[in-house]
Amino acid sequence: MTDPLSLLPELVMALAAVGALLLGSWTPRERQGRVRLLVVAALLAALAAALAAAAAPPSGSGGYTVDTVTHAVRVTVIAGTLATVLLAADSPASHPRASEFHVLSLLAALGTVALAGADDLLVLAAAYLLASIPLYALVGFAKDGTGTEAALKVYLLGALAGILLLTGTALLLGAGGTTGYAGLADALPGAPRALVGTGAVAVLAGLLFKAGGVPVHFWVPDVAQGAPAPVAAFVTTVPKVGALAALYRLADGVLPGSAPDWAVLFAILAAASMTLGNLAAFLQTDARRLLGYSTVSQAGYLLMAAAAGGAELARPGLLFYLGAYAAANLGAFAVVCALGTRTLEDHRGLFRDRPWLALSLVVCLLGFVGTPPTAVFVGKLILFAAALEAGLGWLMVVAAVNTLASLFYYLRWVLPLFSSPEEAGARQRGAAPWSTGVAVAAAAVSLGAGIAAGPVLALL
Amino acid sequence: MTAALWALVGVPAVAGAALLLSGRRADAVAAPCAVGALALALAASAAAAVTRPGTAVPMLAGVPAGLAVDGLSAVAVLTVSAVALAVVLFATAEIGADQARGRFFGLMLLFTAAMLTAVTATNLFTLLAAWEVMGALSYALIGYWWKEAFRVRSATLAFVTTRAGDLGLYLAAGAALAGGAEGLRLSGLAALEGGWRDAAVAGVVLAALGKSAQLPFSFWLSRAMAGPSPVSALLHSATMVAAGAYLLLRSEPALAATGWAGPVLAWTGAATALALGAVALHQSRLKQLLAASTASHMGFVVLAAGAGGVGGGMLHFTAHAAAKSSLFLCAGAWLAALGTQELRDLRGAARRVPWTGAAFTVGALTVAGLPPLPLWTAKDETLAAAQQLGPALYATGLAASAVSAAYAARVLAVVWSPVRGEGARPGPGRPDAAEAVPLAALAAAAVGLGAMALPPVSRWWHVLLGAAEEPGPTAGGTALSGLLVASVAGVTAWAVVRERTAPLPGRRLLAGWLGLEAVARALVVRPVVVLARALAAFDDRVVAGGVRGGVRAAASLSGGLAVLDDRVLARGVRSCAGLVARAASLAGRRGEAGADGAVRSVVSGTRVLASWALRPQTGLLHQYYVQAVVALVVLAAVVVLLR
Repeated sequence: MTDPLSLLPELVMALAAVGALLLGSWTPRERQGRVRLLVVAALLAALAAALAAAAAPPSGSGGYTVDTVTHAVRVTVIAGTLATVLLAADSPASHPRASEFHVLSLLAALGTVALAGADDLLVLAAAYLLASIPLYALVGFAKDGTGTEAALKVYLLGALAGILLLTGTALLLGAGGTTGYAGLADALPGAPRALVGTGAVAVLAGLLFKAGGVPVHFWVPDVAQGAPAPVAAFVTTVPKVGALAALYRLADGVLPGSAPDWAVLFAILAAASMTLGNLAAFLQTDARRLLGYSTVSQAGYLLMAAAAGGAELARPGLLFYLGAYAAANLGAFAVVCALGTRTLEDHRGLFRDRPWLALSLVVCLLGFVGTPPTAVFVGKLILFAAALEAGLGWLMVVAAVNTLASLFYYLRWVLPLFSSPEEAGARQRGAAPWSTGVAVAAAAVSLGAGIAAGPVLALL
Repeated sequence: MTAALWALVGVPAVAGAALLLSGRRADAVAAPCAVGALALALAASAAAAVTRPGTAVPMLAGVPAGLAVDGLSAVAVLTVSAVALAVVLFATAEIGADQARGRFFGLMLLFTAAMLTAVTATNLFTLLAAWEVMGALSYALIGYWWKEAFRVRSATLAFVTTRAGDLGLYLAAGAALAGGAEGLRLSGLAALEGGWRDAAVAGVVLAALGKSAQLPFSFWLSRAMAGPSPVSALLHSATMVAAGAYLLLRSEPALAATGWAGPVLAWTGAATALALGAVALHQSRLKQLLAASTASHMGFVVLAAGAGGVGGGMLHFTAHAAAKSSLFLCAGAWLAALGTQELRDLRGAARRVPWTGAAFTVGALTVAGLPPLPLWTAKDETLAAAQQLGPALYATGLAASAVSAAYAARVLAVVWSPVRGEGARPGPGRPDAAEAVPLAALAAAAVGLGAMALPPVSRWWHVLLGAAEEPGPTAGGTALSGLLVASVAGVTAWAVVRERTAPLPGRRLLAGWLGLEAVARALVVRPVVVLARALAAFDDRVVAGGVRGGVRAAASLSGGLAVLDDRVLARGVRSCAGLVARAASLAGRRGEAGADGAVRSVVSGTRVLASWALRPQTGLLHQYYVQAVVALVVLAAVVVLLR
C-alpha cells in the first residue's frame, strides 16, 4: 500500500472495536452507555476519514483496492452501522452485554468493507469470515427461542457457504496459479473450463450467502423475524452492501475473459432472487418476515449490476442503489424497532398516532418499489438501463414485472397506516426517540438522494 | 436594467407565493402586502418600459426562458400592472377581513405575475409556462368562494374550456420545435418552413381564441362571472381574455406570413364582436352584460390582429382594460351595496353614489366608443385596416360598434333613471378612499387615452409599437362611425328612458349566450364521456379482468406458499415432498377457480414461477443444504456446459 492513510477508515473501525471491548470490560454494567459514545464517535471519525479518503486518487496493492467502489461501500456501511448503533440505543441502556453488541457490529462492518475492497480471493475469504462470524453471535444475542433458531440456521448455512468459498478459491488457484484478481483475469481464459466454472460458482455461493440471494437465502427471513430488531436491520442491510460490491468486482474484473457466459449466470441468479423473494413476500402477515423476503428480492435487483458487469452504467447504478437500499431498509426496520410491532395489522392507524413515523415508513416502502422521487427509483432506473445496455432486455422486463408485483405487498402494509384504528394495537406507547430519529433521517436521505441524484451520481 | 424586468415579474410572484403558503395567518397583512407588491411592480414596469431590458436564463437544452420588454410589451406591462394595482386596491375594501384574504390576494398576485410573464415572454416555452399558470389560477380565483358548489362548477367549466384551447399552444410549441425555430422564439415563427409554420400559427390561433373567449368558446366567460367582482375586473379586462388577443397582436408577422390566418381571425373577431355585442344587449344582469361586452371588444382586437392593425388593436387593448375594469368594479360595488345585479333593480344606482356613478359613466361611454374617447379612435383604426380585406368586413365591424353603443347606452340609461315608487334609496354618500382612488384613476386613464386621436400622439404611438406604416383612418370614416355611434347611443338611451323598447327577434337565443354551452356539451362533452365510458368498460372487463385474474391466481399461490412456510416453521418437521404436493394442489384449486378463459395463460406462467418459490423455507436445515447444493451444482453445470 503506497499510502497507509488511505486505509484510515478501516484502521479506525478496528481500533474502535478493540477499544470498545477493553472499555466495556472495565466499565460497570449500569454504565455501558459510555461504550456507545465511544463507538458513535469512532464511527463518525471513520465516516470523516472515508469521505476524506474518497478525495484521494485510487490506489491499491497487496490484495486490497481503494477505489470508488470501496469509498462508496465504506460510506454506506459506516452510516448503516451508525444507524444500527442508534437503533439499539432505545433498548434498555443497562444491557449487560451492550459492549459486546457494539464490538460485534463494528467487526462485522469492518469485514463487510474488506469484502468490497478485496482484490485477492484469500483476502476475500478472510473478509468473509470477519463479516460472518460476528453475525452468528449477534443474531442469537437475545438468547431467546426464535433468535437461537435463526442463529443456528445462519451459522450452518454460513459454514457451508464459507467452505464452498474456500473450495472455490482453491480450485481457481489451481486453474489460474494465483489468487489475485488481476492475475486471475489474465490466466483464467486459458484454464480448463470445468475447473473455472466450478470454482467460480463455489466462490459466488459464498458471496451470495452474504448478499442473501438465491439459492443460499434461506436464512434471511428467519433472521429478519427471529433476531432482535436492530440486529435484523443490520444483518439484512450492511453485509449485503459489501457482498454485492464484491460480486460486482468479480463480474466486472475477473470473470468476463473466461469462456462461460457469466452474464447469463448472474442474470439467472438476479431473476431468481427477485422473483422468489417477491412471490414469497406476497401474503406475509409478519412485518419483519415480509421485509426479509423483500430484501431477497432487492438483492435480485442489485445482482442486475453484476449481470450487466461490463456496462458503463452498472457501477454508478449499483453504488447508488446500494446506498438507497440501505437507507430504505434501515428506515423500515427503524419504524419496526420504534414500535415494537410484529404483524402488519399492528400498524393500523399509525398515521394518526405517529404521523412522522408513518410517513417515513411510507417513503421507505414506496422507495423499495421504486416510486419517484425516492433514491431507489433512480438506482433501479440506472440498473434497468445498464441491463439494456448489456443486451439483457429480458432481465429488465422480468425486473419491471417484479417491481410492479411488489407494489401489492408493500401497499398491504402502507394502506392500514391511514385507516382508523379499530382497537389499540400491540404497539409500544413509548417514544423510542432514537429509532424514530433514524426512521425520519433514513426517509429524508431516501428522498433527498433521489432528488439530488444528479450531483451524487457524478461522484460515482 | 434587467433588475426592473426581474422585479416586475418576481415581486408579485414571490409575494403571492408567500401569502399563499402562510395561509390564513397572513390574512391580516395580505392586503397591504398585495398593494405594496403591485405598486413596486408598477414602478418596475415603468422603469422597464423606459429602459427596454431583455434577459434569458438557460432552462432546457437550446431553449432558454426568455423575457424582454419591447414597445408592444411596454404598453402591455404598464396596462396590466396599473389595472392590477387599481383592482387590488379596490378589492381591499371589497374582500372583507372575515374572508381568506391571504389566499385571495396571494392568488391575485400570482396571477398578475403570470400575466406579466406571458406578455414579456420572448419564446413559446416561457409563454406556455405562464399561460398554464394563468389557467390554473383563474380556476382558483373564479372558484374562490368554493363552498358554493355552482361557483366551483363554473370555475371548472371555464378552466376546462380554456384548457382545451391551450392545447393549441402545445401544438404550436411542437411545430416550432420540429420546424427548427431557434429557441422556440415567438419572433421566429414567421420564418418557419411551410407546413410547420401553418401548424404553429394554427395552434397559436386556437389558444388565443380559447383564452379570449372568441366564438365558439365564448360561453366560458359567462360562467366565469361566478367569481368575486375584483376577479372579473382583473381577469376580464387587462389579463386572461386580453392575453389571447395580445398573443395574436404579438405574433402578427407570423399570421400575416401564412396568408390564411389573417382573414380567418378577422372574420372570427368581427363575428364575435357583432354576435356577443348582440348578446350583451339582451342580458338582464349587469355582470353578464359586461362579460359579453368583453368578448365583443376582444373581437375587435382579434379583428385588428387579423387585419394587421397592431396600433389600433393595442390601443383597444389598453383603453378597454381601463374602462372595463372600472365597470366591473362599479358592478361589484353595487352588488355589495344593493344586493343585486339585475338591471331592472339597478335603476338609479348611479345616483346613489355619484362618485361611482361618474366612473361607471366614463367607462360605459368609453366602451360605447363615443368620440373623443379612446375606443372611438381604436375602432376607427381597426376598421380602416379591415377595409383592406373587403367592405363586408368593414360593414360587420361598423355594425358591431353600433351594437356596442346600443348596450352601453342602455345600461347607462338604466342606472341613471330616477327611482320611482318608494323614492330614492338612502345612499351611503361617499365611497371610501380605497374604492374611490382606483375608480378615479381608471376613469382618468380612459379619458386620457383619448389623446391618441391627436395626430402627433397617434404617430408617436405607432412608432412605439413599430407599426408606423399602418393605414390611418380617413376623416370621412371617422366622422361616419362617430356619428353612427352617437346617434345609436342617443336613440337607445331615449328609448330606454321612455320605455319604448320592443322585444327583438331571437331574444331568448341571445340572452342565453347563443346556446354555445349547450352546443359544446352536445358536440364535445357528450361524445367524450361516451367514449370514456366505453373505454372504461373495456378496461374493466378485458384488461383489468385479466390482471385481476392473474393477481388472484398469484395471490392464491403465494397464500399457499406462505401458509406452508409458516406452518412448517412452527411445527419444525414435515416431509418436504408431501407439503409441496399439498400446496401445489391448494394453489392449483384456487388458481383455477379464480381464473377465467383469457387469463389462463397468465396463471400458468405464474404457476411455473411459483413452483420455484414453493421449494425453500421448509424449516429443515438439511433440506436447505440439499437445495443450496443442488442449485449450485446445477448452476455450475450450466456454466460449464452452456456455450
